[in-house]
Amino acid sequence: MIHLDIQNQKTSFSPGETIAAKITWQLEKSVNAIELRLFWHTNGKGTQDINIVNTLRFTQPPQRDTRPFQFQLPSSPYSFSGKLISLIWAIEAVTDPLDEAGRQEFILSPTGREILLCDTFPANPVNG
Amino acid sequence: MRARDNPFASNLISRLRCHFPPSHSWDSLLLRLQRLEYRGAITGPMGSGKTTILEELAVRLEKQGRQTRLAGLTIQHRQIPDPGHFFANLESTILILDGAEQLNWLSWQRFLRQSRHAAGLIITTHQPGRLPTLFTCATTPALLDNLLTQLHIPPGSPLRLQARRLFDLHCGNLREVLRSLYDSCSTLPHPL
Repeated sequence: MIHLDIQNQKTSFSPGETIAAKITWQLEKSVNAIELRLFWHTNGKGTQDINIVNTLRFTQPPQRDTRPFQFQLPSSPYSFSGKLISLIWAIEAVTDPLDEAGRQEFILSPTGREILLCDTFPANPVNG
Repeated sequence: MRARDNPFASNLISRLRCHFPPSHSWDSLLLRLQRLEYRGAITGPMGSGKTTILEELAVRLEKQGRQTRLAGLTIQHRQIPDPGHFFANLESTILILDGAEQLNWLSWQRFLRQSRHAAGLIITTHQPGRLPTLFTCATTPALLDNLLTQLHIPPGSPLRLQARRLFDLHCGNLREVLRSLYDSCSTLPHPL
């Protein structure tokens, strides 16, 4: 089990802000490392794009632990959604070798909300 | 509907798992491949799941400890990208070619010559005949139903009825059916 908790259950961040969180894991077997990734990816009709912006690595971790961490967010790209494509920000943690993973999505936007490219979408909650 | 909520988004489609007819399984496919000395073709019309099976087969061969090297051809790209790398050090490598029908007869003969030292050769192609047939893909409404279930489309949903109509319209091409369903969902104001 890997669980990611963003501080204060915050789901939206401004460009350049720091995202503070903690990772809790309880693994059935020991692993070489646990890697934390700050990344964005696209979902939609076409080929999926993905970009890992920053990583943190805990080598030779114990089988269970909780650790705080933080990433400084870049100024862009903003979280957005249209009919054909959405851009989604997330942090994820994966074990090496890959056995377990955890993931937490968030919004990166100057307005605090995902940018909607189509005015027919209903008003969406902050956490998408 | 936002792209991220669309149940037919490409990231979800790419996770669909192969669904064999009752007479087939991964074990029987791998056994047949072994009997064919790792040279065989997955055949079937467009949008029938050949690439899906091929990609999963590559993963399963890698898990068996075999090295694979994959190239894909399309109507826009009919040549092996970086052939110097693709055909280098083949002795312990199974070559996997998706879209072999894109090679004309002469190019196919050249490809066979260049790959003769490979530990195996597996291709997808529309028509049988280039290599012994490993598996023939065919689409059925039942297969479409299975994919819709994997995509969490509830039984009785109007999308299921629409999918059935699209299946006939696209002559069983599942890729086109799923693309059309994406477009239909994208016009809906709310997630399903």
